[in-house]
Amino acid sequence: MTSFAVSTAITSGRRDLVNVRTRSLLMAKWRVLWVVLGFAAIAMAAMLRLAFLGLFLGLPSAADLAAALRPQRGDITDRNGVPLARAFPAYALWYNPAALGGDGPPLVHSPAQVAAGLSRILPDLDMTEMTRRLAEGKPGYLRRRIMPEDANKIHAMGEPALEFPRETERFYPQGSMAAHVLGFVGADGHGHVGMEEVFDRRLTDPATRGAPAVLAIDTRVQGALEDEMSRAMLDTNAKGAAGVILDVDTGEVVALASLPSFNPNLIDRAGEANIFNRVTNQVYELGSVIKPITVAAAIDAGVVTDLGRRYQSSRPIAIGGFQISDSHSFGASLNIPEALIHSSNIVTAQVADQLGGARLNATMRALGMNERPYIELPARGFPIWPRGDWSRITTMTVSFGHGLAITPLHLAEAYAAMVNGGIWRPATLVKVQPGTDVAGRRVFKASTSARMRQLLRMIVDLGTGRKANAAGYRVGGKTGSADKPGAHGYQTTKIVATFAAAFPMDHPRYVIIAMLDEPQATAASSGQRTAAWNAAPLVGRLVPRIGPLLGIMPDATRDVDITDLAPLIGSGDGE
Amino acid sequence: MNLTQDRLRSIGWAAVLLTCFTLTVVLTFKVNAVKSQVRLTEREIASTRQQKLFLETEFEARANQQQLKSLNDVEFGYQAPTAGQYLEGERQLAALGKARSPDAPSPIRVASAALSDNNNSLPAMVSPLSGKAMAAEPSRHGEAKITTAATLGEHLSHVVVRGPRSE
Repeated sequence: MTSFAVSTAITSGRRDLVNVRTRSLLMAKWRVLWVVLGFAAIAMAAMLRLAFLGLFLGLPSAADLAAALRPQRGDITDRNGVPLARAFPAYALWYNPAALGGDGPPLVHSPAQVAAGLSRILPDLDMTEMTRRLAEGKPGYLRRRIMPEDANKIHAMGEPALEFPRETERFYPQGSMAAHVLGFVGADGHGHVGMEEVFDRRLTDPATRGAPAVLAIDTRVQGALEDEMSRAMLDTNAKGAAGVILDVDTGEVVALASLPSFNPNLIDRAGEANIFNRVTNQVYELGSVIKPITVAAAIDAGVVTDLGRRYQSSRPIAIGGFQISDSHSFGASLNIPEALIHSSNIVTAQVADQLGGARLNATMRALGMNERPYIELPARGFPIWPRGDWSRITTMTVSFGHGLAITPLHLAEAYAAMVNGGIWRPATLVKVQPGTDVAGRRVFKASTSARMRQLLRMIVDLGTGRKANAAGYRVGGKTGSADKPGAHGYQTTKIVATFAAAFPMDHPRYVIIAMLDEPQATAASSGQRTAAWNAAPLVGRLVPRIGPLLGIMPDATRDVDITDLAPLIGSGDGE
Repeated sequence: MNLTQDRLRSIGWAAVLLTCFTLTVVLTFKVNAVKSQVRLTEREIASTRQQKLFLETEFEARANQQQLKSLNDVEFGYQAPTAGQYLEGERQLAALGKARSPDAPSPIRVASAALSDNNNSLPAMVSPLSGKAMAAEPSRHGEAKITTAATLGEHLSHVVVRGPRSE
């Protein structure tokens, strides 16, 4: 029994053991299976992820690269591709006191040490002010724009609180040059004043901003014009100056400058005062520079058929309580070339009287002088235009440039029409592709234009414009020195001196208008303040600088043929 | 295991299919790896272009017209050339040349040492294609000759007479 019992116990114990073993094995198998399944699932997930990454992500697209390179705002370049305005990712210096985290001080070093370190890198820094701001612990810009190498140096100081966010800013590499043409971009991100305003939509539209906007301006010519104008301004203590260079065949504005200028990189109060554009926005009574237009209108209308015909020049013309007189006496009589050479008001008034108000009015209208000048810029001045039918006195005063106030740009367009064969074309700041035929309207006959080239050349060769006679460049033009109107009639102490020129006169390519506002008599201008002594020499210095840049080489062996008119000029200063 | 021919064939097909599939996957990964390399390179191009723009703008700003003008005023004082310094066309250039007058001083001669080696040979012409001297290139017209000052005349006065002349 006992044995049985024992044996039973053994058997039952063995059976139990076998059961336990089987169960344990099974459990172990299951566990292994679960682990394997887990690993397999993870491996599967990893493989799927890999496949997904490998197959679908990381596909480069050409659009990404183009988008990365597309500027925030399109560039503006000059006619030769020199950048005038650019979206520039500049570094700013930003103070972030929370960068270190925690409750400790925001800076590793003391504020005074950091300020001293910063002032070593940026020497114009105000140390006490900077120490105060760093100690205050308020986030903000320490500098809006710093140079990359300065950013590196500041980074080497090891202050995590000094950050360098990259901000796209509008940058004008040429500084204040052509500021009135370009304008600036305000804090609102939109262009103001110049072509920045005109092209605003185009420069910000993602579809078009990739390609730069090309202007007709030539940087080198613009630089030379501004340089010579500022020199003349300093020489004569003038209040301001305006200058424009126009292509006579296309109306492209190759250079346009209004001085004093402003810096579009930094618009401050001093700059804001100079934003006003004297070339396109300010109207002036430009005086004698209008005389050639009157003569051209008279020749064109057939009123003047004989240039040798003499007009009395000794007696002032009394009309409507006014007296039209000359600055000094030129003798008993003058013919047309002599009247232009000596700039006689009396003779011009007689020619205009013969021509009549209606025809002079029509010519001036055809030259666009009764409306705002044609150019893209938003700032365009409205001329002071005598309304209605012109009376005799209006016709006479307009004929020598008074009673009609226009912008220098109007004058440039009119002179271009006078010398280019008689076609008036609107001025443009956008580059015209070479070979394009620009539409215009005929104002003068080609024969009149040819005659005017001779006459303008004679004024520079023999008359008041002699100081503009750059050797070899065949300059032609006319001086104008007009008293400025004040509250009580014309002020004899304030004048506007203008020289309107074109060159080379045998085949005119460019018109130059140079105007000085209120020049003074100084030693540099030989004690004179008329255009012959300040604006004309300006053009005389400017033309040799810009001529070769514009493809006009000086040549002493060429000139416009004036042999048929030469005998009409008497020797001596009037006769 | 008794493998029938059919079974073997299907296993073979399966193996081929598996291999092809594996190769396709590997190739796809490879292609995508190259593509992402391209993308990286493009990013590098973009950042390099940005850098270039940055430097170019800095250069433009440092060399703007006003800076150049003040630099010229202080350092160089260059002025625009005058009309007399220009020549227009060959005619004006030719007008500058004059025959030497009888009493003119004799023109200055510069001494030069004769190169002893290679018997005054002209500098060897180098082929722009192969970068080798022309003499080393096999000539298309038979044997190549090295042109020397002595043999240059042969080239210049080489007249080919075609056919007998009727005399």
